[in-house]
Amino acid sequence: MNINFSCMSPMSDECPKLICRMKGSAKRTMLSLLVSALPFFIFVTTAVAQSAGQLHQIELWAEKIPAGAEGGNDRFAYQMNSHVISDMDGSNETDVTSRYVMAPTIPGPTIVINEGDEVEITLRHVFDPGDSTTLDQVSVHVHGVHYDILSDGTIEFINLVEDESATPTMSYTYRWIAAPGTAGTWAYHDHNMITLNGAEDRGLYGTLIVNNGSQTAALNQGGQLKTVPLASIKKEYVLFIGDDAFFGMEIDNQTGQQTPLLDNPALAAQQGSNVRFHLVALGTVTHNFAMPGYSWIDPGTNLIISEKIIGPLERHVFAVQANSNSQYMDTVFSSSLLGMKGDFNVTP
Amino acid sequence: MKSITFGSKRITVVAWICLAVMLFYSNIVLAATHNIELSAETLPNGQLGYQMISHTSSEGATPSYPTEAVIPGPTLFVKLGDTINITLTNNTNVDVGLNIPGLPAGAEAAAGGGTQSYSFAASQQGAHPYYDEGSQLLGLFGAIVVDAPDGTVQSYVDGDGTITAANRDELDKEYIMYMVGSTFWGAEIVDGTQTPLWTNPVLAAVQDEVVRFHVLSIEHDHTFHLHAHRWLDEVAPAEQGDTPNIIDVKILTGKADGHSFTVKAGTGVGAGMWHLHCHVVSHMESGMAARFRVDEPGASAGNSVAGATPYGAILLGPNQSEPGLVTFEVSDEPGSWFRSARSDALAPITKTRSLEVMSPGSSAHFVMSDTNAVHTITSLIWPSEADEGEQHSIPFDQTKAYRGGATVKLDTPGLYVFTCKIHPYMFGAVIVDDPSTEGLDLGTKIDLVTGIKDLPTISDLATRILRTFFVATTQENWQDYTSTAPWTVSYPDVPVAIGDLDGNVVDNLPLKTVLEDRYGQNVALDPLKTPAENGNPAGVGEVWINTQFEKTAGKTKPGTITVLDTATWKIKRKIALPEINMNHPHNMWSNRDQSIIFQTQWFDNKLTFINQADGTMIDNVRIGDSPSHVMTFPTSDDITVAINGENMVVRVPAGTTVPDVSMPTQLAGQIPANPHGHWITPEGKIVTPNINTSDTGFYDGNTGQILTRPAAGGNFPHGPHPIAVGIGVDKVYTTNLLDHSISVYNLEGSPITTINLIADYDPINPTGPTTLTDKDGDGLVTVGVFPIQTPVDPTGRVVVTANTGGSITLVDTRTDKVVAMLPCDPGCHGVNFGAKAGGGYYAYVSSKFSNRLIVVDPDPNGDGNFADAIIAGTVAMADNSATTDDAVVSLAGMGGQGVLPIPNVYNGWVQNLPGEWKTGLTAEQLDPAP
Repeated sequence: MNINFSCMSPMSDECPKLICRMKGSAKRTMLSLLVSALPFFIFVTTAVAQSAGQLHQIELWAEKIPAGAEGGNDRFAYQMNSHVISDMDGSNETDVTSRYVMAPTIPGPTIVINEGDEVEITLRHVFDPGDSTTLDQVSVHVHGVHYDILSDGTIEFINLVEDESATPTMSYTYRWIAAPGTAGTWAYHDHNMITLNGAEDRGLYGTLIVNNGSQTAALNQGGQLKTVPLASIKKEYVLFIGDDAFFGMEIDNQTGQQTPLLDNPALAAQQGSNVRFHLVALGTVTHNFAMPGYSWIDPGTNLIISEKIIGPLERHVFAVQANSNSQYMDTVFSSSLLGMKGDFNVTP
Repeated sequence: MKSITFGSKRITVVAWICLAVMLFYSNIVLAATHNIELSAETLPNGQLGYQMISHTSSEGATPSYPTEAVIPGPTLFVKLGDTINITLTNNTNVDVGLNIPGLPAGAEAAAGGGTQSYSFAASQQGAHPYYDEGSQLLGLFGAIVVDAPDGTVQSYVDGDGTITAANRDELDKEYIMYMVGSTFWGAEIVDGTQTPLWTNPVLAAVQDEVVRFHVLSIEHDHTFHLHAHRWLDEVAPAEQGDTPNIIDVKILTGKADGHSFTVKAGTGVGAGMWHLHCHVVSHMESGMAARFRVDEPGASAGNSVAGATPYGAILLGPNQSEPGLVTFEVSDEPGSWFRSARSDALAPITKTRSLEVMSPGSSAHFVMSDTNAVHTITSLIWPSEADEGEQHSIPFDQTKAYRGGATVKLDTPGLYVFTCKIHPYMFGAVIVDDPSTEGLDLGTKIDLVTGIKDLPTISDLATRILRTFFVATTQENWQDYTSTAPWTVSYPDVPVAIGDLDGNVVDNLPLKTVLEDRYGQNVALDPLKTPAENGNPAGVGEVWINTQFEKTAGKTKPGTITVLDTATWKIKRKIALPEINMNHPHNMWSNRDQSIIFQTQWFDNKLTFINQADGTMIDNVRIGDSPSHVMTFPTSDDITVAINGENMVVRVPAGTTVPDVSMPTQLAGQIPANPHGHWITPEGKIVTPNINTSDTGFYDGNTGQILTRPAAGGNFPHGPHPIAVGIGVDKVYTTNLLDHSISVYNLEGSPITTINLIADYDPINPTGPTTLTDKDGDGLVTVGVFPIQTPVDPTGRVVVTANTGGSITLVDTRTDKVVAMLPCDPGCHGVNFGAKAGGGYYAYVSSKFSNRLIVVDPDPNGDGNFADAIIAGTVAMADNSATTDDAVVSLAGMGGQGVLPIPNVYNGWVQNLPGEWKTGLTAEQLDPAP
């Protein structure tokens, strides 16, 4: 294997991806190198395997959802336009666009990829900003995965390089690398519209799920902490916890089909099936999530918990086996009064 | 990946075994004793900070600390098992202590000039906040970092996903990032030298340097986010699971919190100016952002850049070459809503506690340190050039009310006035003064939040707003009707530079003289005369008035209820409720049989239930942030409360004190409407003035359904700030505070017309003969600046509006035209109708910045023509001899806001009165709108 240590930027096009990843590990301290010699060599093998990760070419639209008869402000939302998965060299294309609803939704499309995959995501600004100068830029800023400064999705005032925005006349392409160590559920959201830090709270947000290399999830099974294959998870529920409601999205893992569920939706699961909740808070309020009758594993720990404090843009992911009807809810004072809860219906 | 995880897990196990062994030895051999002398100091901008005087350790070497008091305070690095002895000398004029929730130090605060000693063991690893309980948000906070005895620190996630162990010896840098209000307060530690980085700094590191962040918080919740980097969530050793939780956002919550993590700068992502911010949206909007700059290796690579400092370029600041910071405490103290942290020193010059002066490029800093309410920090006025080019922060605003603070850098010289959208008489001003010009720079032209652009600062409107600012923010400038002294307004006696009508600078203008010439000085106040003394009829029953600013001995928060007997025009009772520290009682309503008064606390989150007969408290319940108005459904007697700081109207079922459900004022995910003074139609439709969304909301009171939300206002393009609703027989009237107008709708919400209350006013020219003239040609000269409460009389014929600018306007509902204007006091605010003995109605009008109640008779001769409306009498709201539950100590009778006549004689309610309250009412009063 030819390891090129002169490669300056892990993101540059001249730099083969595998070699870039090698650079990081080769720069570790001698001590950790020695201690971790065995996993290091295992890593090399794994990394080779991961060079077979897939490339996701995505075109996402930023849309406006105009206010209706009830008045109030317009909202904005992302819509999937196309999603094609291929090998890294572009061969073996599979178009998975049909997984998505072809309409702007809140939350936006859930992009599901694997650790080791890469994403080229082109954003188009497809609504009429009218005469408002604050609506002519929109972006995608993603959490968790790797990207270089040009894919930060911020404005020049912040990143000191350029406005990384789609405008009514120009699209913008971001490049994400789900490198090892980036598995997890991450929000993506606008960072550039209306304010210095964007308009995420007007509806411009969605979810990136990076499934781990081992394709497993942690499950509380009858009080026992158990690792189960992802294939055993029948449904994924994405629940954004806004300041005044839950905004849901459901993914059927057998078909990959995504169904937007609107605010405070009723969730349905089959008795005995494993389902996974992806909670992401967004807004100004701190929440306390609970689902009476259910408890789950607090990620990163061996603890089984039945409620969780979640602040804006934190995420909390857990799997449960559906066994009884319940309600998911936010128990903080104003949220309770606002009715921030929904049914979790389990059917035989 | 599975293999890597397995490998790193083994490393972790080995590390923990090593740690356990080290711990065992450390207790015997390695534990150190630290003797530390700290002092608490007052900084040049009035903030407080801890300073390191000395630190000796039995281990020998100690860090190199800053030689001045710093925010955050000096970082104390110790190891598990160490003993720490701290002596704190308090050189400030307030009591100062040291609280360390994670490592209880058990001692009291030291009084000013005193010392206090603390001793404790470093019994728990992690970054622990230390702070003063009382002045913590003003700068008295710091960090104690307790590390493992062997120096092992948090592992980091390398670019290839490897979880890599790290030791403190290997770290290139450590950063302290304290999240306070809406500001990051930073410090950097390199090779044992601590350097303050002050507010919202640029932290810098060279690519691949291993750096550790200590993120801490006090009081408010925050979520820390660093772009393009990820790290391990902290988990106690015994609770660690099979796979680590890799995160890029971390909540800091509760009274105080800390979180430490290690990253390899730019790993996997490369160099760049990476954004670092709180992810709470309101904090993002209030400026809570710093940078993490990852540099390619090079000459000046990795040099961090400090932000605005309390020692920097502010008026009288010691270091004019660095960007400075002026600090306002957001407070519940009447007038001093935005109180400069150094107002004791400045007020003798500025004549207000709410004005600061600094140089261009310095920052204004706000922290909600003395308030129980949610607020916004919103630009009301700014220099016209300040929103141009790359100055993205002006106009400054947040979408939602929140807890925290704000930081905003101001580059363009001129006058900036900030307000709170929820409590729009809260004012704070910053003059950004170019030191090289003559006079304080007020700027040549200003923009207003309503959309007025390029207003010359010599105009009447500009100076009128300035005068309003000085009256509203200074208690001594309020009208005291119990004194025979003339009303005097103190203005700063300083030369200013303003702009004439052509935009040319006029410098060295004496501000005091200009304002006195334009608006008078030493004005004799009219002697009080009750309606009886004027030969007018008595009222029926009582009037309850929220003297919202009156201060009493047993409370730290202001506000009383003044109960007036309208048979005698004597004050029957003052109700302060010291047992709950009642905070800003703002608006009231009663139950059907008039036995229980419902009271909102506008700068708090409570609804209070009071026994009408004796003024005692029945219950005090949490209802929502900044509850403004309360009103019952005439049909069910259920209570509704507008939650001004949030997005709903909350219901409390009749006969209970527990809120059971809310009616959101907007669809899920929309901008909160922040309703203020709602009203309910006799049929049960709820109508809200939505201050944050510039509309009037019509809702089905039974289902909570949004019916329609027509726009409000019309004089100016933006932000009319609809604030109160009155409903007559077939029409709805909404006052628009900043639009100086009343929007009129039918009961279905279709707009009918907009009444312009400033049609006769010339805002542009300098104050003079053109300022007020009959421009609309209706034969009257009337003006209603900043209109607030606007009820329609029970017969639906006349609207009486209290205008903050000091007038009462009457609108005839047949024509929807202003037919009369009466004088009012500064801060004219509340009004409601009560029965006049023998028939007809009085409108009782309260004012914030005076201590009298004005009794208006809209129709003295009962002919249905309101052009002859009169002030029937005036009544002092101050009365030290009245029965009270807490002695009045200052601002006697001041702060008049909510007004509730009992019996409630509005159409729909009067019909449901119990028999005893119906006696004394005429047949027409009992059925006012047949």
